[in-house]
Amino acid sequence: MTIPQTIAPFQNPVTLWIVVGVAAALALGALLIFILGLAGRLSAALRHELWLRLGSWCVLAPLMIVPILLGRSFTIAAVALLGLACYREYARATGLFREHVVSFIVVLGILAVNLAAIDHWYGFFMALAPLGCGFIAVASIPFDRPQGYVQRVGLGIFGFFLFGAGLAHFGYMANDPNYRPLLLMLLLAVGLNDVGAFVIGKSIGGPKLVPHTSPNKTISGALGALVCTTTTVSLLGHAVFAGTALDRAILLIGLGLIVSLAGQLGDLMLSSIKRDIGIKDMGRAIPGHGGILDRFNSLLLVAPASFHYIAYFVGFGLDQPTRIWF
Amino acid sequence: MDWQFKPARDHALTPRERLASLKREGGLVSLACHWLWRQVIRFYLRAFHRLSVTGLGNLPEPPFVMVANHASHLDILALAAVLPARYLERVHPIAADDAFFSSFASSVFAAFAVNAFPLKRKAARPKDLALLRARLVEDRLIYILFPEGTRSRDGQMAPFKAGIGALLAASEVPVVPCFLAGAFAALPAHRHLPLPRPLRLSLGKPLSFAQSANDRAGWFAVAQTCESEVRRLEQDRIGLNQTDP
Repeated sequence: MTIPQTIAPFQNPVTLWIVVGVAAALALGALLIFILGLAGRLSAALRHELWLRLGSWCVLAPLMIVPILLGRSFTIAAVALLGLACYREYARATGLFREHVVSFIVVLGILAVNLAAIDHWYGFFMALAPLGCGFIAVASIPFDRPQGYVQRVGLGIFGFFLFGAGLAHFGYMANDPNYRPLLLMLLLAVGLNDVGAFVIGKSIGGPKLVPHTSPNKTISGALGALVCTTTTVSLLGHAVFAGTALDRAILLIGLGLIVSLAGQLGDLMLSSIKRDIGIKDMGRAIPGHGGILDRFNSLLLVAPASFHYIAYFVGFGLDQPTRIWF
Repeated sequence: MDWQFKPARDHALTPRERLASLKREGGLVSLACHWLWRQVIRFYLRAFHRLSVTGLGNLPEPPFVMVANHASHLDILALAAVLPARYLERVHPIAADDAFFSSFASSVFAAFAVNAFPLKRKAARPKDLALLRARLVEDRLIYILFPEGTRSRDGQMAPFKAGIGALLAASEVPVVPCFLAGAFAALPAHRHLPLPRPLRLSLGKPLSFAQSANDRAGWFAVAQTCESEVRRLEQDRIGLNQTDP
């Protein structure tokens, strides 16, 4: 038995707006690079870099949007795969991948928490955070190798919370029949948040935000992104949450602030990890972007933060069947 | 091993570059692939070639290097298959890059199933040898090497090349000489499919080259010692066969 997909993919206009908008933005980007290239305004290296980035977006955007349009299970499965890919990069960057037992438990934990999401079993979904933490802590004890215990358990729990328990909130939202416009709005807002901070920071400049953690981020960029993202989320949120308890200006502004803050903090969190290890990128999986985590870092904290904010006012799939499989 | 807060050696490589890199370090996925491959190969060698081993007790703790005669593609499989399962991810057969890493598909197979490291057959670069040497000790690896450089075309063992010396001279890492009998009869270089002939593997006592000079003369001496030890195992094997009733 599956949750009835009563709402057709484009029933909510916001879904259509965002899909068309993203496609248009990609086409416009290609046109801009092409025209600027013809006019000789771009160096060969920069042009190559821009095409590479745009090309990656042309692959990434459908990979994010299509599962959301396809349905609930596809969305949660895609989030599970993303979590596993992120954890792989994190484990290889920190050295945790050499600890097979801990790594294996974290992978099981990421799968379990996404299975709980697909099952719409909220109790187990929440219980997996402390349970996973406990399993990771005890998994390597039978091997009687106390050297490095705190480090491997600490890194394992950190990884499980970020890419399992935390990120899976994004997939869990798909249990709501009205999830499509919401998830697309969050992805768009997180993306715009990054771009906004970059563009506004570059054009205004001014004092750095946390120069030792991330040398290129400025206070002006952070504040600019806060304003842009909050505005975007408030306007789109008004259409997404029309007729619900969340459809009040003050609450929607609150959601926008949470998305922008959590997005920027997630970015800085990854920067801190990279600085501490002494690496520039988390991987080389996406041409022009670095690793998968370098692209999706902002989503890690947005998922649980926005989930619980929205759940407080609206809830997720409260009228849907729960514990479908187990 | 105490905790090491260090990224994978291959961290800065693209997924494609990783496959044929000597910096490759496997994770859970490759471990699972090695394990599956090992199960299949062990079953095949036992059922089809009735592989038997003597001298398993001679194996030291990692790191160590196994050197053997080379008559067949079965050699790599047999030598890797007899090692204990707990060494699974440490075992790296050193394979010719032109044979095992020539295409994407063969590289995926060589990296994920066999766990092989590529080496240039004719001209191994000094920096590659230095990396192999360093990883052997630092990561406590196990290399499987065929110092003849290629598979025998007539079943006779060829002289060992000096490259093995560049890897091992003046190193504390023990070397286990191995002789595999029957591989030429089962799957010689000119055949595509194996025949059900028995394989018998002998492992000799570990050798140490800690005192060997790390220069050209020393390398040749190392190669010669390895070769004569493998030949001695061959003689012992022939002697065993003659005393069989």
